Amino acid sequence: MIQRRTLLAASAAFVAAETTFGRPARAEGSYIIGTLFPMAGPNAEYGTIFTAGAQMALTHIAEDKTLGKPVELRAEDSQSTPQGGATGMTKLANVDHAIYTLVGFTGVSKAAAPIGQRNKVVMVNGGGVGPDLSGLAPLFWNVIPLIDKEIAALLPWMKGQSFKRVALVYVDDPLGNAVLKQMNTVLPTIGATLAGSYSIAPTAQQFGPIAAKIRDANADVIYFASYGAQQSQIIKQLRDNGLSQQMMTYSAATIPSVRGLAEAEGLVFTAQVSDWSASDPVTARFVKDWRAKYNGDPSTYHQNYYNAVWLFGLLVQSLEKAGKPVDGEALRAELLRVRKFPLAGGDGSFDDNCDISFPIQVNRMKGGSFEKIG
Amino acid sequence: MLLVQLLASGIQTGLIYALTAAGFALIFGATRIFHVAHGATFALAGYAFIEGTDWGLPWPLACLAALVVAVAFGLFMDYFVYRPILRHEASFFTVFVAAFGVVVVVQSILEVAFGRSFVSYSSALTRAVPVLPGLYIAPVFWVVIGVTAVILVLTGVFLGRSRAGIGLRALSENPELLRAFGLSSRQLSALAFAIGSALAVPGAVLSAATTGLQPSVGPHVMLISLAATIVGGIGSLRGAVIAGVLLGVTESLVVTVLDTQWSEAAGFVLLFGFILFRPSGLLGRAVAR
Repeated sequence: MIQRRTLLAASAAFVAAETTFGRPARAEGSYIIGTLFPMAGPNAEYGTIFTAGAQMALTHIAEDKTLGKPVELRAEDSQSTPQGGATGMTKLANVDHAIYTLVGFTGVSKAAAPIGQRNKVVMVNGGGVGPDLSGLAPLFWNVIPLIDKEIAALLPWMKGQSFKRVALVYVDDPLGNAVLKQMNTVLPTIGATLAGSYSIAPTAQQFGPIAAKIRDANADVIYFASYGAQQSQIIKQLRDNGLSQQMMTYSAATIPSVRGLAEAEGLVFTAQVSDWSASDPVTARFVKDWRAKYNGDPSTYHQNYYNAVWLFGLLVQSLEKAGKPVDGEALRAELLRVRKFPLAGGDGSFDDNCDISFPIQVNRMKGGSFEKIG
Repeated sequence: MLLVQLLASGIQTGLIYALTAAGFALIFGATRIFHVAHGATFALAGYAFIEGTDWGLPWPLACLAALVVAVAFGLFMDYFVYRPILRHEASFFTVFVAAFGVVVVVQSILEVAFGRSFVSYSSALTRAVPVLPGLYIAPVFWVVIGVTAVILVLTGVFLGRSRAGIGLRALSENPELLRAFGLSSRQLSALAFAIGSALAVPGAVLSAATTGLQPSVGPHVMLISLAATIVGGIGSLRGAVIAGVLLGVTESLVVTVLDTQWSEAAGFVLLFGFILFRPSGLLGRAVAR
């Protein structure tokens, strides 16, 4: 008869052995892609969205059987904080031995980049839009157009609407501060000024006082730079507090919770062009399978993280064919050699900083969906 | 007029804080249990209300559903978490960690059941209209004032006049003596959890309509409740309510002199000030050791 103590000791030994040897043993037989997304807290909605896009690409790669080894996904919760980003990247690089990681959020990316670079891990951002993410590290790539491109695309439309006094509500983090800097620089070029800028903590939930200050500043348009649940709270509370001015923001507003918010009707936002009727095989397959699985159209974040993983498949396939090792440096060299890749949404071209270029359009929220207005 | 507008906004926020803090203060005052999971009660009640309205229930029935969920959760915590732990004379930290663990579990359950995104209840009552040049007030402002007044009067009458209410007040002082008077400290503890949890419901429903909810709302609510309880004076329901309003008004008015991002921090500076200079709080009793 097995004694209780023996059973406990055996269980402990199994757990220890699994922890020590289990993961690396599996890692040798597969390519490990790590994800560093917020999986809990007010920004967890993004984690779910980002992961869904990446998983669909993994499914397609597995179906095509084009790679010599299977691809495994390992997830770490970034908590959307720089601390979470640094801790998560350390674990993905040193414990999971990921060679390719997917990151999002500007602050998280900036904290994770030095660690990933030191460990020769490629980091692909499809969610953070801070302009300083461009050229952050040689192994840090962007498959999303950054905020300076989004604001530049919005300016002609703003000029056409004759907006003169802009109120800016921005989260006090690298993204928000970049938007403030950008607005101060570009608004005078269209004859507009910042009527007021209101920084908010990433955890702030009450925006009644800010609504009062915006009304007092007599702004004729409101631009907000936030993300996650907070942007829904901003929209709802500013509208509830009687502000009827046009509201504008960037591509973070494409998430379902904003699209489903009644108060978001009429919201103007920029995002990369997403033509789901395109007939190229990558886009057509992505959209067809997405609609079949989720009964709706994908968002730009789904597209970005699909592209990030699909790009990995294309790069590894080339390296395997050439008989080259698959590591961070080799992946970067291959990316810069080929430059242009067939991705969901059309061909994506990468510049010397490994930033993708996609055209950007201005959209207006209408009935839970959005229409192109510029 | 900016100052009046900010004051009105602060009063509305503060009264919702007060409603939320009152339940925590009542439970802590009666049982001396640091009920960290009060934030989870708030989240569960809010989601029950929104889910009820999504199912097509009229709002009073959705409120009732929220009430049932909140009270059931409060009683669950009392019977199945706190009592077994306290039976072994566990320390404050054991109770704290257990309750905090439940908060994490509830947050995860809400995420799985309702998704991780923001949810809110849309109502015409939350849309502000101009009442004076430059002053916008939403009908919900008056609703918040009315609901708070009614609930506080009812709770005050119950605690001050009824045998059970007086028993609750006595519970924290001397549970043994209660037994001598034929009262059960267990039943009174359950009553404290039931009423305290029920008090979280109005705040949760009003928050669902005004600021919206997300699964991780619990810890934030708990922080506010704790701050209001300390500023108000530990064990004082009336103090917690006054402190809730004080916190809301401070957060709102501070933007006239400081950058808007200091709004929330200002409330906690106030808390810090009380801890340093008046640790017994607004209406608490100083205890000599």
